Amino acid sequence: MARILECKLNGRDRADAVADNVLLLDYLREKVGLTGTKTGCDGGECGACTVLIDDRPALSCLTLAATVQGRRVDTIESLGTDGQLSAVQRGFHEKLGSQCGYCTPGFIMASAGLLRKNPKPTEEEIIAALGSNICRCTGYVKIIEAVQYAATLNAQGVAP
Amino acid sequence: MDALPEFKVLNPATLDEVMAARAAHPDSKPLGGGTDLVVNIRRGIVAPPVLIDMTRVAGLHAIKADANSIEIGASVTLTQLAEHPVAIEHYPVLAQAAGLIAGPTHRNMGTVGGNLCLDTRCIFYNQSEWWRDANNHCLKTTGSMCHVAPKSRGVCFATFSGDLAPALLTLGAEIDIAGPNGRRTMPLEKLYIGFARLRGDEAAASAAQARQDIPVTETQGDGKFFLSLRPGEIVTTVRANNTPGLRSGYDKIRIRKSIEYPVAGVAVALKREGDRLASLRVAFTGTNPRPVLLDGTAALTGGGLDERVFKGLDALVRDQIMPMKTTFTPGHYRRRVAGVLARRLLTRLFEG
Amino acid sequence: MNEIVPAHNIGGYVPMIDGPEKVSGRAKYTADILAPGQLAGRIYRSPYSHGVIVAVDVSDALDVPGVVAIVTGADCDKTFGVLPVARSEHPLARDRVRYRGEPVAAVAAVDAAAAAEALRRIKLTVRELPAYYTARAALAPDAVPLHEKKPGNLERDVLFELGSIEQGFGEADLVREGSYNCAEVCQNQMEMHAAVAEYDAVRERMTVHASTQVPYYVHLMLSQILGMEMSRIRVIKPHVGGGFGCRTETLNVELIAALLARKANGTVRLVTTREETFITHRGRPETDIRLKIGMRKDGRITAVECECDQRGGAHGGYGIVTILYSGSMLYAIYDLHNVKYIGRRVLTNTPPCGAFRGHGTVDIRFAFESLVDEMAAELGLDPFAVRRANLLSAPTFTDNDLMVNSYGLPECLDWVEKESGWSKRKGRLSKSKGLSKGLGMACSHYISGASKPVNWTGEPHATVKIKLDFDGSIVVLSGAADIGQGSTTILAQTVAEVLGLDLSRVRVVTGDSEVVPKDNGSYSSRVTFMVGNAALDAARNLKSLLTAAAARKLEAKPEDIECLGELYRAGAQDKGATFDEVVTEALKDSGTITVTGTYSTIPESQGGKKYRGAAIGGTMGYSYSAQVVEVSVDEDTGVVTVDKVWVAHDCGKALNRLTVEGQVQGSVWMGMGQAMSEEAAYHDGLMITANMLDYRVPTIQDSPPIEVGIVESNDPHGPFGAKEAGEGSLAAFLPALTNAIADAIGIRFNDLPVTPDRVFEAIEKRRRTLGKGNEAGR
Repeated sequence: MARILECKLNGRDRADAVADNVLLLDYLREKVGLTGTKTGCDGGECGACTVLIDDRPALSCLTLAATVQGRRVDTIESLGTDGQLSAVQRGFHEKLGSQCGYCTPGFIMASAGLLRKNPKPTEEEIIAALGSNICRCTGYVKIIEAVQYAATLNAQGVAP
Repeated sequence: MDALPEFKVLNPATLDEVMAARAAHPDSKPLGGGTDLVVNIRRGIVAPPVLIDMTRVAGLHAIKADANSIEIGASVTLTQLAEHPVAIEHYPVLAQAAGLIAGPTHRNMGTVGGNLCLDTRCIFYNQSEWWRDANNHCLKTTGSMCHVAPKSRGVCFATFSGDLAPALLTLGAEIDIAGPNGRRTMPLEKLYIGFARLRGDEAAASAAQARQDIPVTETQGDGKFFLSLRPGEIVTTVRANNTPGLRSGYDKIRIRKSIEYPVAGVAVALKREGDRLASLRVAFTGTNPRPVLLDGTAALTGGGLDERVFKGLDALVRDQIMPMKTTFTPGHYRRRVAGVLARRLLTRLFEG
Repeated sequence: MNEIVPAHNIGGYVPMIDGPEKVSGRAKYTADILAPGQLAGRIYRSPYSHGVIVAVDVSDALDVPGVVAIVTGADCDKTFGVLPVARSEHPLARDRVRYRGEPVAAVAAVDAAAAAEALRRIKLTVRELPAYYTARAALAPDAVPLHEKKPGNLERDVLFELGSIEQGFGEADLVREGSYNCAEVCQNQMEMHAAVAEYDAVRERMTVHASTQVPYYVHLMLSQILGMEMSRIRVIKPHVGGGFGCRTETLNVELIAALLARKANGTVRLVTTREETFITHRGRPETDIRLKIGMRKDGRITAVECECDQRGGAHGGYGIVTILYSGSMLYAIYDLHNVKYIGRRVLTNTPPCGAFRGHGTVDIRFAFESLVDEMAAELGLDPFAVRRANLLSAPTFTDNDLMVNSYGLPECLDWVEKESGWSKRKGRLSKSKGLSKGLGMACSHYISGASKPVNWTGEPHATVKIKLDFDGSIVVLSGAADIGQGSTTILAQTVAEVLGLDLSRVRVVTGDSEVVPKDNGSYSSRVTFMVGNAALDAARNLKSLLTAAAARKLEAKPEDIECLGELYRAGAQDKGATFDEVVTEALKDSGTITVTGTYSTIPESQGGKKYRGAAIGGTMGYSYSAQVVEVSVDEDTGVVTVDKVWVAHDCGKALNRLTVEGQVQGSVWMGMGQAMSEEAAYHDGLMITANMLDYRVPTIQDSPPIEVGIVESNDPHGPFGAKEAGEGSLAAFLPALTNAIADAIGIRFNDLPVTPDRVFEAIEKRRRTLGKGNEAGR
C-alpha cells in the first residue's frame, strides 16, 4: 500500500508517494535524501534518529511515515539560519558535545526540542530531557555543557 | 536496515471509523506511539496486515481531571500524563509512573492505551527473527517450548512491564472498551487474565486450556494470553476516582535510569488515619505475566506501620510475585527488590 | 600597522575542525552514501554454533525476483585476519561454521525486501560438532579443536618469569591472592558496521567505502580476498561513528560487500543491523584472572604472579597480541621485579573478540589495583601511599625492556588526592541508614602506539604530506583515520603551530587511498604521537622551504629569516614579505609544493627478547592516569550510584585541552559501563544481549560529573611533548569503583559488572553469615 504523504518538512510543504510500511527514518533518509538523521539501533534503543514532530522530540525509527500526514517534521537539516549554526549546534561544536558525531543530530534535536519548550533549563532538566539518547564517546559531561551554553546563546537571541 | 513486512495503515478520525476498520480487518492492530508495536514488527515478532493509527482519533486525547476523579483517553501520551498538574497533585502515582517510563522521547510517543496493552516481554522473545529461528522459537510465537522454563508444559512466562497498570490498579481504575458489540466498562484488573493467582500445575492446566478456548476467559492466561480483550476490541478510556486522604506513589528499579523496562516496579496507595494504616493497595509490574494487585493487603491494615505490616507484606510478595528468567537480571533479585521498593514506598507515603 | 605575531595553535581549547559538518548533519558516514542503482546487501548467518558445512543451497534464493547475486564460501577460498600469523577467517564460512552468526552467504538485491526474502530461502545443512562456550570447556582434553592448526583450542599461551617470584614472595610481609572475572564487553560504537563497494567491471577496479579505523589494512585484505592487485583497489573512509577498537582490523562486512559487488558487477551497500554489529563483535574477551602479590609492610611490591585466561571466540583476530599485552603491561606503571605471567588465549564457539579500547590492559589492571587496595587495607596503609611506594623513576627500562621516558603518575596521584579531598574525606563519608558512601582510587596506563606494527614493512611508522599551491592554503594529506577522536584537528593544529598560521589556513584531507599517503590506522593511540610527529616533520620541512624562498625574496640569509606566520622578515626592522608573497616566490622553483614528513620509532622502544612476543607493549611513550571515584551504595536495593569522578591523565602535553578532556571523560565513562552494567552474554552461543536494551550502555541519567586534571610530563619524543590521551584512563575506573564500594560497604567485588543484583546478593550473603536474619531492611 502506498499513499501521497503530505507534511511540512523543515518548513516546506511536501507531497511524496510513500509506502505504508516505510519508517519516517527511511522516508527522510532514502526518499528525501536527508541523511543527517541517523540509524543507530534496531528500534528505539539509542535516540540517534530523533527528529521533532510538531516541536516534540520523536524517534523516527519507530514512527511510520504514514502517521505524520499533515504534521510538521523538523530534522537536523532545519537548524541554523543564513548559513550560521543554531545555538544548540554551536554548543555541541564549541563545547565538544560531539566527538564521532553519529549520535549528534539526535542529541541536537532532543536539545532543540527542550529549549523550544523550556529556554532556561536547569542541569537536571537537561539530563532528564536527553535520557532517550545514547552517546558512546563523550561520557555526556560536555553534552550537558553544550546545552547549557546553547541556552545562554539562545538568551542572547540565537535561535535554538 | 530491515525491510518491514507489507501492511496497510489506516488513519481514522473518529472512534466509529476505528470500529468499522476493526470490523473490516479482524487481524488489524491499533497503533499508538509505536514504541512497542513497531519494534516488534521490525523484529518480525508480529506482522499485522493492517495498522490503525490511533493518534488522530477524536475524543481519545483528553485528560479530564479534578480532585475527585480522573479520566484519561487512550491516546493521551505518557508525557501529557506525567506533566498534567492535576495528576501531579491529586494522582501522584499516575504522574510518577508515567514519568518513569522508558525515556523522555519515548514518553512523547507512547500512549496510555499502548502502555496498558503493552506486549509481555521475554529475553527469548524480544529478539530478531534470525535469533528466534536459531533458538527454535518459543511458546509465545510459533515454538513448542518455553526457554525460560522448559518444563512448564505449555505455559509462557513472558513478563508484563507496563508501568501505568499497577499505578491504576492501586486506584481501583476502570476502563472503557469499544468493540464490535458496542461499548462496555469493566475494572482494569479484568483486562489482565488472572494467571497471577494460580500456581504450578494449576497454572499450567489453565493456560493450556486457555490456549484451546480462544478467546480466553477472564480468569486464565499466561505471558502469551494476558489480555482479556475480545476480537476487535480496544481500550478507549481509563478512569479512576480519588478519595479524600489517599496517598499514592510509584517507584521502580532499572539497571539504567532511563530507556529500559522495569526490573521491578511498584505502586502503593494508602490512607493513614492518625497512627493507623487505614487502607493499603500495592501493585507490581515487571515481575509476572500480568500486573499484580497484591491480594490480602486489607489484612495488614487497622494498626500502625509496624513489623507485622512489613512481614505481612513480605509474605504476600513471596506468595504472589513470581519473576522467572525472562530478563537478563535474575528473577530472585527482581522479587526481592520488588519487596524492598514496596516497603520503602509504603513507609515514605505513610510518614510523608 | 598592528604587530604581527605567529598564531598559536597548541595547548588551548580548540573545537574540532570537522565539527560544523557533524552538528549540521552534513557529515557523511558510510550508510549515508546513497545513490540510485545501488544494490542492497544482506548477510545470511549461521544459526549453528559449530558444524561441518554439508551444503549451502542458494537455488531458491536466486529465484527471488530482484536478487542479483549471491556469494557463499565457494566464492572465496582465501583467509583474512589482522595478524599475518593468525589469518584463520574466511569472509564467508567454508567447510565449517564456528559460531552462531558467522557469515555463510550474502545476497545483493535491488532492494532490502528482496534481499530479506532471499535470506529466508537459503538452506544451510551442517553436521553439528560439539560447541564450547567457555574457555574451560574448550580447553577440556577431549574437546574437538575449532581449528586443526590449533590443537587443544589454544590460540596462544604465554609464559614468562622475570626475576624470581619464589625469592620475591619470600621477601614479602604479606602475600595475598585473588580471583577475578571480567565479563565480555562490546564497543557498541554508535555507527553500525557498513560498507559500500563499487565494482567497475570495465576497468576491473574496486572502490570500497568502509566504516573502519584501518583503511590500509582493509586495502591489504581486500587485495588478498579478491585476488586483485592493490593498485586496482581504492579504499575510502568516510566519517566514522566511533570505533573503540572493533574496527581496528578488517571486518567481514567490507570484504563481503566487495565480493558481492564484483559478482553483481555493480554497487552494493551493505549496512548491518545493531544485532549484526554486536555479533561481528571484536570486543574485550571474558577474562579470568588469578593474581598473587607479595608486599612488604611499607607497601613495596616484591613479587607478582598472574594467570590469565581469555575466551577469545572462534577466530584468532588480535588474540595473540591481547594475551601478550595482558602480561607485558603488568609493567611500566610501577617498579616491579619478580613477575611471572601465564596467559592462555582460548578459541571458543562464540563471536571473535578483538582490540577493545585499552587493549589487553584493562581486566588485568582491574585485578591488580583491586588486590593492591585490599592488601593496603590489611597492612593499614593508605592506597595512595602504596602506589607511591612503587613508583618508577624515569627514564628507565622495565625488567621486560619497556622504555619509559616520561612519567607523570606522581603528579596524577597528587592531583586526584587533592581535588577529591581524599585525606579529609576518605573513611569519613556518611553512612546513613541504607545508603553508604565511599571513595576509591586506582591507576592505569597505556601506550602511545605500538613501536612494532603488526604488519612490519620497513617503511616509516607514519608519513604525512603537505601540499601548498597558488591559493596559499595548506593542505595536509594523511591516511590517519579520524573516528571521532579528533586526530584531523590535531594534525591541523600541529602544522599551523609550526608555520605560525591561523588554523583556518590549514585543511586536512584524509581517508582516500587514491590521494593520501598510507597510514597504519587509528589504534593503540598511535595517531597523535606517530602521525603527529610526522606532521611536525612535514611542517618543518615546509617551513624551511618557505624560509629559503623568503630569504631569496628579501635578499637575506635563511638563518636570518624570522617566520611570523603571515609575515616573513629579516630582522625586526625589515618590512618583510607576506606569507602569500613568500608562497609565490617558493612556487617559482617547482610549481606546486609538496613536502613529506615521516616518523619512525627508535629500536630501544621496541621491547625486548626475553620471551616470545616481548615486543608487545613496547612504545615510545606511556600515558598515566589516576582516578578517585565516589559512590553511594543503596544497601537495600544493591543500586550503586557514581556520584563523582576525579581523573588526572598524564598526556605529556595537551595539544588540545578540549579534546583531551573529551577523550579522558569518554574513557572513564566507558570504563564505568564495563564496570557497572555492560555484559555480552550468550544462550548456547547465541548472543542474548545483542541489542541496546540488554547490552546496557549507561545513559546520561546514569553518568556522573567527571573532573579532569591534565598532567603534562613533556615526553622527550612526543610531538611538542605529547603522549596518548584516549585510552589510558579507562582501566583505572574499574578498580577505583570496586575499591570505592569496598570502602562504602566493606564488600569487595571481584567479578564484573557490578550490577545491583550482585551487590544485593553479596549484602544478603553477609547478612546471613553475620546471622542477623535475612530481612531486607527498610
